[in-house]
Amino acid sequence: MNGTSIKDPVRTELPRRGSFWPAAKPRLALFGLLLAGLVALGYVRIDPAAMLASRANAVNFFNRVGALSFPGATDLLYQTALTLGIVLLGTLLAGVLSVPVAFLAARNTAPGRSAQVIGRAIGVLARATPDVVLAMVFALMFSLGALPGIMAIGLHSVGMISRLFADAIEQIDSGPRLAVRACGAGRLQELTAGVLPQVMPSWLATTLHRADINLRGSVILGYVGVPGLGMEMRNAFGALNYSRGLAIAVVIFGLCLGMEALSSTLRRRMLGAAPVKASRPAAARAAPTPSAAQCVVTRSAGQPSSTKSVAPDLGRYLERPWDGQRVKRLAGWCTAGFALAGALVVCQINLTDFVTVWSHLPPVLDKMWPPTAGAYGIWRLLGALMATVAVAFAAALMTLLASLIIGSLAARNVASRPSTRNFWRATLVVIRGIPELVLGIVLIVVTGLGAQAGTLALAFCHIGLLGKLMADSFEELPAGPQRALTAAGAGRLQMYVAGVLAPGRQAVVGHALYVLDTNIRAATLLGMVGGGGIGYYLLVAGQGSNYGQVTLIVAMIVAVVMALEGLTVWLRRTLA
Amino acid sequence: MDDAVVPAAAPTPGTSGVVRAGAVDVLAGGRGPIGESDVSPAAGPASAVEFTARADQTEIVATPVELRAVTRRFGDTVALDGVDLTVTKGEVVALLGLSGSGKSTMLRQINGLDQPTSGKVITLGQSVDGLNQAGLRRLRSSIGMIFQQFELVGMLTVLENVLTGGLARLRGPRLGTWSYPQAAKLEALDYLWAVGLADRAFQRADTLSGGQSQRVAIARALMQRPSLLLADEPVASLDPESTADVMLLLRQIARDKGLTVLCSLHQVDLAMGWADRLVALRSGRVVLDESAAALNREQVMAVYRPVPSNSAK
Ligand SMILES: Nc1ncnc2c1ncn2[C@@H]1O[C@H](COP(=O)(O)OP(=O)(O)OP(=O)(O)O)[C@@H](O)[C@H]1O
Ligand SMILES: [Mg+2]
Repeated sequence: MNGTSIKDPVRTELPRRGSFWPAAKPRLALFGLLLAGLVALGYVRIDPAAMLASRANAVNFFNRVGALSFPGATDLLYQTALTLGIVLLGTLLAGVLSVPVAFLAARNTAPGRSAQVIGRAIGVLARATPDVVLAMVFALMFSLGALPGIMAIGLHSVGMISRLFADAIEQIDSGPRLAVRACGAGRLQELTAGVLPQVMPSWLATTLHRADINLRGSVILGYVGVPGLGMEMRNAFGALNYSRGLAIAVVIFGLCLGMEALSSTLRRRMLGAAPVKASRPAAARAAPTPSAAQCVVTRSAGQPSSTKSVAPDLGRYLERPWDGQRVKRLAGWCTAGFALAGALVVCQINLTDFVTVWSHLPPVLDKMWPPTAGAYGIWRLLGALMATVAVAFAAALMTLLASLIIGSLAARNVASRPSTRNFWRATLVVIRGIPELVLGIVLIVVTGLGAQAGTLALAFCHIGLLGKLMADSFEELPAGPQRALTAAGAGRLQMYVAGVLAPGRQAVVGHALYVLDTNIRAATLLGMVGGGGIGYYLLVAGQGSNYGQVTLIVAMIVAVVMALEGLTVWLRRTLA
Repeated sequence: MDDAVVPAAAPTPGTSGVVRAGAVDVLAGGRGPIGESDVSPAAGPASAVEFTARADQTEIVATPVELRAVTRRFGDTVALDGVDLTVTKGEVVALLGLSGSGKSTMLRQINGLDQPTSGKVITLGQSVDGLNQAGLRRLRSSIGMIFQQFELVGMLTVLENVLTGGLARLRGPRLGTWSYPQAAKLEALDYLWAVGLADRAFQRADTLSGGQSQRVAIARALMQRPSLLLADEPVASLDPESTADVMLLLRQIARDKGLTVLCSLHQVDLAMGWADRLVALRSGRVVLDESAAALNREQVMAVYRPVPSNSAK
């Protein structure tokens, strides 16, 4: 048993992964990103000593706060309904707007190459523009109330929703659609009869998922004047009424966890509704078609037409039976209808706003142009932008390291004990339910730290997502290499490195890049609540009515988001 | 329709209404065209006129399918190589040939789902390459097409799948059974009854067995009130019992409605008993074209032999 004779079969078992990343360019880029993460960690100064010191702050803080003080039940209920209503209507608006955008952007439905580019561009632009900025602008154009929030959520969410919608369209089975076309259906008819039914479950699931995300993000809208729980919390903290602020934070936590549970259950139901193949009934069909026994397929088959004699009352077949499926569907529609009606009532949308908005548009645009750095100077803003990017990178790196460990422990093919795996899976679910923004606000308020607290909140909350993605990817790895390693007598750590990490690194990198992508946006928002960076300047510029500055800052953010997204898309494609 | 090639056999438009009435759908029990009357009274006569107008040009053509020197290349592959074929009205033709011999490609030329590299395709009296989008849609609406994989929209109910066959006669997009006029629903049920599945109208299509699915697909084709039926290996994914079911149904419909049928098949024995005429392709060329009664099994099997055979016509 010498070394080489053992290793040889192992090497042949590892399929193609050995010659991974042939090009040096993406590898170099990845290395650069990693380096940036390390530098960012230093920049943000994640300093254990300072954090320990701030623990005293926290203890002090909680002593001062005493018990949580919840608002009155009616008020709380109203604010909760208002927040949910804004999120619901905004997400619904985004879903509706995304339909045409998705049909433009999807390869197999785009009327032309240029239409596809336009569809994609709309999505990218919507995604890169933070909803809080949109809310700020809309607050100038609409009368105060829920509408700016709804519109902001509606437009910003088109970015993600339209892309996922388009993905779903591209994944449809083209056969039925072609069959509908072969029936002579028109272009629009082909889409509604051949495409829409196929994508509907996925579209609904996407919209639900986005509603979940929007609820978590809705807190920040309160900072720019959109009513609801976010604004209540902000006002409480602003008035140094910490016991009230924390109480509202607790309510939002609960709401997010509940929504996450509800939406994931519904999504599983919808996407997992794979039909059970009905077995062929043994009983004679109502058909006048001849049974197999008498069936000899010949040219002269059955001279008199057996179908001609049949003239039953077919109308009775048009009465759809009230089976469980139909009842469930009706219940679903009714619930949705009530929710929508409730949302419309509670949000008190002023429809004349849609008329008057057009007269407000030119002056607002006028105020926003030209972009200017104002009293800050461009370098100060660029520095702040760097700080935001640093928070995003540092948080992404921390998330990556933690998720590698937790994700591995939650994967079936790494953690051999089910109890270990279940524990970490459950932990990931709980973490995923925590909204990073609320955690960030609370951490910042409690510890008194800025960028550090924001980074920690961001890093922690994304472990829920990244850890799950990694665990799933690890479990999907082919079992062959691991079996071969076992056969070769590899140790546990060797097995992990060679059997899981090595073949799974592609997925790890892809998921980590995705998290980095979302981090930039989240870091901006955290800046608005005191987490350091460009967000703070954005908020101050908006509150001080320096709209030229708002334009410049937004342009800077959009540029960074798009540049990073371009880089990650390119990396993911070249590494795939 | 200005660019349609009107064959010599086509009668003047004035007589067509009579012809149409004679060839009334037996399966539909002579029900009239789908009117929107229960939705909007004004739309009723309009769609009826449109429908009759279409029937004018399509139903009475003596040779529903005419291919003249049709060649179709995909890069280096020659899928069809100078194919000439004329199918007369009411004929039931089986299309044979090895896998990759060009059967599917040929059927797709006929309803314009694919265009030939060179040559001319004249379907139901209209030159396919001269049609614009609207003309192509109108042509397709009178050609029923049946696929090996059924190609039903699985999320929809059986009834709604059948109703999609009538889309060409209705204006605007439709979503959900309720959005179709009552007359259309009743007509769809007629066809579902004819294929023996009326009691499953509200079952989801993806819960059907293979044979049931194909019968729904046939009902969908009938809903188009076609004068020509194209079937691409309609029984290739079915068990023997369902195969017999479906083939018999097709034959019956062809007779009852006076339909012209062009059907690609892999089972030689089935084809010989079922069709009036056999056409065989080999590497995109027609190597056999004979009345089924005039052929013996040996002659047909020659088509499948690896070496090009001289016995082929
Ligand atoms: N869209 C396409 N692109 C490229 N080549 C194609 C395309 N469609 C068909 N072909 C080629 O044309 C030839 C004929 O294909 P076709 O599908 O018509 O064969 P077929 O007789 O229907 O075969 P089967 O019995 O397997 O269905 C094949 O060589 C096929 O690879
Ligand atoms: Mg084929």
